[in-house]
Amino acid sequence: MEYVVQQIMNALAFGAEYALLALGLAIVFSIMGLVNFAHGEMIAVGGYTMVAVSALALQNPLIIIGAAILVAMIASVTLERVAFRPVRYADPTTGLLTAFGVSMILQNLFLLLVSPRPIAVTSLYFLEWSIELGTLRISSLQLFETIATVAVILLLMFFLKRTLLGIAMRAASLDFEMVRLSGVKANRVFAIAFMISGLLAGIACVFIMARRGSVDPHLGFDPVLKAFVACVVGGFGSLPGAVLGGFLLGAVEVAMLVMLPQSLGGMTDAFVFGIIAVLLIWRPDGILAPRTEKGDKQ
Amino acid sequence: MLSFVLVIIGVITAYFGSRYQLRLVYSAYVNLLVVLGLQVFMGNARITNLSHSAFMGIGAYAAAICVTPQNIKALSLPNAPWGLNAFSFDPLTSALIAIAITGTIALLVGFLIVRLTGIGATIVSLAFLVIIHALFLYRTDIFKGNQAFFGIPQVFSLTSVVILAALVVFGVRIFRECRWGVALRASADDEVGAVSMGVDMYRLRLIAWVLSGMLLAVAGIAYAYFLGTISARPFYFNHVFLTLAMLIFGGMRTVTGAVLGTFLISLGLEMVRWLETGPVIMGIDLPEALGLSGIALGAVIVFTMALRPSGIMGENEIEDLVLKN
Repeated sequence: MEYVVQQIMNALAFGAEYALLALGLAIVFSIMGLVNFAHGEMIAVGGYTMVAVSALALQNPLIIIGAAILVAMIASVTLERVAFRPVRYADPTTGLLTAFGVSMILQNLFLLLVSPRPIAVTSLYFLEWSIELGTLRISSLQLFETIATVAVILLLMFFLKRTLLGIAMRAASLDFEMVRLSGVKANRVFAIAFMISGLLAGIACVFIMARRGSVDPHLGFDPVLKAFVACVVGGFGSLPGAVLGGFLLGAVEVAMLVMLPQSLGGMTDAFVFGIIAVLLIWRPDGILAPRTEKGDKQ
Repeated sequence: MLSFVLVIIGVITAYFGSRYQLRLVYSAYVNLLVVLGLQVFMGNARITNLSHSAFMGIGAYAAAICVTPQNIKALSLPNAPWGLNAFSFDPLTSALIAIAITGTIALLVGFLIVRLTGIGATIVSLAFLVIIHALFLYRTDIFKGNQAFFGIPQVFSLTSVVILAALVVFGVRIFRECRWGVALRASADDEVGAVSMGVDMYRLRLIAWVLSGMLLAVAGIAYAYFLGTISARPFYFNHVFLTLAMLIFGGMRTVTGAVLGTFLISLGLEMVRWLETGPVIMGIDLPEALGLSGIALGAVIVFTMALRPSGIMGENEIEDLVLKN
């Protein structure tokens, strides 16, 4: 019984991380059709901010966390201004390749300017201790991660359903021209989308760093790859789909970790992706893809 | 079209003078094969494929396992399952087997890829790359992981790869202009329109995908047959980015663009690498700058996309430029 609960917690925590990242990808994609490969670099930016802030002898963990999230948001908005504005109305392939280029540049900048080696960040270890509930033992970090993700999703839902900008953003994903005609500034919608995306990456960054304890130039790559797969499974551009895909992926991953024998340890990802691929044969456009006919106005 | 092949051969003869660059030029030609293989699918179906290095790796390893003599395999792969270390073929047979194996795998993956819409297909191809890389690293008893798989007979020289490249350029160009290629490009431009004219889009994409996979296998085999040793590392992200930048820069819609991009980037990259080592220019001692080549490649992609999304060549093949003026 304890074992089962623990594994469920594992799955929730993994899923929460993927869902956070997948949401960040989906919110940008739904509005401007950009597959943001540079999303992972936002996580790395957050990680390096943590290094910088703790090097300045500010050991208060709240400042470190706050700074990481803030810088990730700023970096995300900056990228939108600098790199993604020229390709704003281009087709998805162009955007995807641009984001690829941006991601390469950033990764190599970290390599060039900081260090190719991992740098340790120890100030977040306090987040990790184990809670005993009767006979159950749960990692606090996993609990925080799940709770934080649920809270963020609820907040995001509130923002998208109740505030003017949120409604404008949902409208923008359906018909951007109409939103602009109603007097909402396009630049602001994009900036907000990227800011939310950066915020989500920043929060994910905190948990990733707390678990790994070090940052290197390729930090963001693996989680974001998973987040992409989560988006594809859920249906690209659908926000509920991203969350569902994230948690589904987390569940499959933990199931694989549990069920595969030790000797196949290195193959977990391969099995996870394999299962996802089978799922896509069943629903090629993802589980919660918006139903559009080919040839509809995009 | 033929003029095109001649241009290539002209380039090589020019290069023959400087032998120390042989390996460099060779790798440029192998990359050219990769980029051409990529162009067959990406350029015609307009779906970004990121798994090409995996197919190249499959081809290279399959050929390597078939061709390496038994006595070397007994040494390097003592624990290989299914008696993989108990036979060996001549290079040609091995190459054909490798191409067939890669083609089969491409077909199986293709069934999935062609049904997905643009972005989904890209992500799944990326996932495939990760799966194959994990497999290479994990099954050290077959692939030796990050260690070198050695003892492959070095049967290829620069001349043979140039001839191969010329043939492939010819073939890829024919595919682009033939019935299938035209129909496929039409379906990429206007899916609904093409399907209503009776184009079987999925089947065409599958054909292009498998063809692309087989060409990539050829590239992998050429790579293995020249170097004599392979390892899993070159068939991963760095190579994916490199070849992708080449194709995009030149213009993925045309064969000319693919060739041009490959040569320009190979040349440019060599200069950036030289800068990376920290040379002395005009009395100024530049510092070592690791990662500069990556930044340069990324910048090439970003600027190409921002300024000229269809690459240098756009929609023009070389004949269009030469004949019209």
